[in-house]
Amino acid sequence: MSTTELHPKGYDFDFAARPDFGFATVRLKANETIKVEASAMASMDTNIRMKTRMKGGLGRLITGESLFINEFTAENGPGEIGIAPGSTGDIEHIYLENETIYLQNSGYVASSPEVELNTKWQGLMKGFFSGEGLFLIKCSGVGDLFFSTYGAMIAIDVDGEHIVDNNYIVAFTEGLDYKVESIGGYKSLFFSGEGLVTRFQGRGRLWIQTRQVPSFATWIRPFRRIQKSND
Amino acid sequence: MKIETIHGPGNAAAHVTLENNETLVAEGGAMIAMSTNVSIETTTHQKRKGGIMSGLKRLLGNESFFLNHFTANSDGAVVTVSPTLSGDLKVLKLNNDRIIVQSGSYVACEKSVEMDIGWQGFKSLFAKEGLFWLNLSGQGQVIVNSFGAIYPIDVDGEYIVDTGHIVAFDETLNFSLSKAGKSWISSILGGEGLVCRFKGKGTVWCQSHNASAFGRALGKQLKPIKR
Repeated sequence: MSTTELHPKGYDFDFAARPDFGFATVRLKANETIKVEASAMASMDTNIRMKTRMKGGLGRLITGESLFINEFTAENGPGEIGIAPGSTGDIEHIYLENETIYLQNSGYVASSPEVELNTKWQGLMKGFFSGEGLFLIKCSGVGDLFFSTYGAMIAIDVDGEHIVDNNYIVAFTEGLDYKVESIGGYKSLFFSGEGLVTRFQGRGRLWIQTRQVPSFATWIRPFRRIQKSND
Repeated sequence: MKIETIHGPGNAAAHVTLENNETLVAEGGAMIAMSTNVSIETTTHQKRKGGIMSGLKRLLGNESFFLNHFTANSDGAVVTVSPTLSGDLKVLKLNNDRIIVQSGSYVACEKSVEMDIGWQGFKSLFAKEGLFWLNLSGQGQVIVNSFGAIYPIDVDGEYIVDTGHIVAFDETLNFSLSKAGKSWISSILGGEGLVCRFKGKGTVWCQSHNASAFGRALGKQLKPIKR
């Protein structure tokens, strides 16, 4: 996997320490701005000024994301900013050219100001069972988008159909339709340990993660201390 | 069956490509994505033997209860699997030999591999680690995972491995449990507790980190469960 990529359009940036500790360094030109998820800025030089804005509105509260996105602008000349997602894992970049990408609700890291961020109602049936919350973040327009995973990331080009365990979905392009379903029979639904899966249909790209936080949290639970109540 | 591992050693996953009618048997929850030309059957054990009791044994061993059988309905089916914890994956090839796999390290295997659960003798001795052991034999590939990196040790003579660092080993090896230091007091104070002394000729696959030790270190920091 390459650790350095240069894109002819958009930001001048590179990645380091992928896929386990993905980190992005973005070199802003004078007066260029980047929107970054609150708390994802790790380091920056003194040419960069931060402004806190409420972007995405109340919807972001519901997606489980913090409400604030910070805007970083290089003011007195070019500047450099280091961006790290909240959890260990991979980071990925895509340059949107009038395209739309749907992000799992905790996947957003940073984007250019021209990229519009909206939460999307998945519909009661789709969202209710997915275990990922009711909303996806819809990213559209023209510009850069950075997103992250817990664990490494796998890109899958779908032409037809593909099935993904719900907890492992990171992002997918607009060309894909999806529905949540159970796999196998009823026995599989309850006992397979796979829970519900999402069937993607159509043509597009899909990103999945190789680890997921909920099952790690379940694993750690038996190691918690037990406190006996005095009643 | 073609198995390709990716993104090791930090957060490895494996793409398993199946030909028509080939079956991959995987730990419940291991599948993260797959093509649609695959049918799934959930059983308590490998299909040809065992049943609810062996399923129960698995539950007691702190492992998930069920195994999923992924069978390709046409050539080129892909099933992607990964374990819960961060770490690496390794593909071991059995050619009429036998290996013992620590239960938490088992991810998946070809259906042609025979699996026996709750290998007695070891089980009781290792109760403290909350582990049990799978006895895998026959012909085919096995995917194991490690917490941290995985490293093989070719034993010819004797070798000592901490019980929490064992992923799998050749059954050709004899083993005995012993204390790590000269006395029990130094072993316990030294934090090493029980170690496994392997004797003979064969390979032990070890993991660089001990999942239980990590669990204890992190668990102490978490809000206690109120009873």
